[in-house]
Amino acid sequence: MIQIKNLIKYFDGKKVLDDINLNINTGQFFTLMGGSGQGKSVFLQHIIGLLKPDKGSIYIDGQDIVPLKEKNLLEIRRNFGYLFQEGALFDYMNIYDNLALPVREHTTKDDREISILIKKALEEVELSGIEQKFPSQLSVGMRKRVGLARAIILQPKLLLCDEPTSGLDPATGYAISCLILKLCRELKTTTIVVTHDVINFFDISDCIAIIHEGRIAAIGTKDEIRKSEDELIRRFVINHPI
Amino acid sequence: MFKKYLEILGKEIIYFLHLCGRIIYFIFDCCVLILNKRIRMPQVMTQVYELGVNAFAMVTIAALATGMVLAVQAAVVLNRFGATEYIAKLVSLSLVRELGPVLTSLIFIGKSGAKISAELGAMSANEQILATRALGIDPLDFLGLSRILACIIALPILVFWCEIIGIFGGMLITVLQENISVFSFLSQTIDSIRMVDFIGGMIKTIFFSILIGVVCCFKGFNTSGGSLGVGKFTTEAVALSSILVIVANFLLTKIIINIWG
Ligand SMILES: Nc1ncnc2c1ncn2[C@@H]1O[C@H](COP(=O)(O)OP(=O)(O)OP(=O)(O)O)[C@@H](O)[C@H]1O
Ligand SMILES: [Mg+2]
Repeated sequence: MIQIKNLIKYFDGKKVLDDINLNINTGQFFTLMGGSGQGKSVFLQHIIGLLKPDKGSIYIDGQDIVPLKEKNLLEIRRNFGYLFQEGALFDYMNIYDNLALPVREHTTKDDREISILIKKALEEVELSGIEQKFPSQLSVGMRKRVGLARAIILQPKLLLCDEPTSGLDPATGYAISCLILKLCRELKTTTIVVTHDVINFFDISDCIAIIHEGRIAAIGTKDEIRKSEDELIRRFVINHPI
Repeated sequence: MFKKYLEILGKEIIYFLHLCGRIIYFIFDCCVLILNKRIRMPQVMTQVYELGVNAFAMVTIAALATGMVLAVQAAVVLNRFGATEYIAKLVSLSLVRELGPVLTSLIFIGKSGAKISAELGAMSANEQILATRALGIDPLDFLGLSRILACIIALPILVFWCEIIGIFGGMLITVLQENISVFSFLSQTIDSIRMVDFIGGMIKTIFFSILIGVVCCFKGFNTSGGSLGVGKFTTEAVALSSILVIVANFLLTKIIINIWG
């Protein structure tokens, strides 16, 4: 479904993404792991055209999205869900309106259907009953889960999650990773998770890539990664008890 | 040495032209949206209310004080020529032709323009604008256009209010100080203001409102660099729109007078 070829991105003369090549299949659960500041968020934003690369192409369903205009990209993004690292909720709207926004904008559902959808989405992220609160009244972890609810409310074909479990307690983190996996398996949602949470995501991923200084240092299934001899990868994986 | 300054000057000019180009492109995008009838009326009305109320108190106080000081000055100056009966004309014409639009616009920039730029700037700084795009929604359509249109609706109303309050302030001073009756002040005022004066002022006002809305939204959307950036870009928005309003005021006044007399 997604093919990335020779992706290069500079920020202020510094190479943040360095010649990235990847293939992600439809329905696959793909996890990109890496330390802080290695270019994970930047990579994820490229996939839906929020950032333009300096070089390279990104094919989604066979179409190169790099040369597309913002107008067409907006159209394409309706089928995607994106969870931002900080949640990125609209702080002048309450939770209900935040979740209702994509539904109101892109579908013709009436208020009753919308409220059912919202109730269901909030139940999935274990946050029932907070519809009337404002983002500033929630904790960081709660905001992130509302962000996830907003990303999945329209059942996207492609779900992109930027650190879905950071800032959560272990139990909720586990529940969130299970929820993302469930969506991937039941609805065949292609899922890309960017994280350094090895504990929750290592075992459930179909494919794992490790990014270091903007380069893909390793890629493969969990067994392949586990067997790797590379010092860097061993350190990254073994430092975490898998 | 000289070459270095030339280089800096050149860079600044290129930067400025580049900025102008981007703003024109931005205005073009707004026009396309309006032509496609993508106007969110409820949001526009909320913004009109918020921006208008935001600047209302200050406009009122400034208008009252300005009207009063105009009358005080007019009384002194006109007394020298023994022409105190012209106070009403001088006060009302200065307000309607010149001071109402410019003064209100400058206050509106400081209160409401800064609000627009800071709000949108904060949203850019913490990924909310990015989130809008990620949801497949055009931020200009969703957040910008309603604010620009609200400026175009709110500012003329405020200017009209400023003119009324200013004339009232002038009347207060004249009646109390110069032995001129309320009735004769008002009838002189109404006699002296011609349609040309009022419409000319309003044309300027509408032009200013577009300028303010576009510049402040543009700066807000282009904010980068966290909370420091919000401060920097908001200040830039206020400074740029103030200077543009003052310069445009001269040019527009000249054009209107040449065409209309
Ligand atoms: N808008 C920007 N301007 C300049 N540099 C940037 C910008 N965004 C990111 N960078 C740089 O790109 C690099 C990668 O950033 P990125 O946000 O992708 O890291 P990350 O892997 O997501 O880290 P974390 O796990 O802490 O979120 C960093 O070195 C950062 O300084
Ligand atoms: Mg990140």
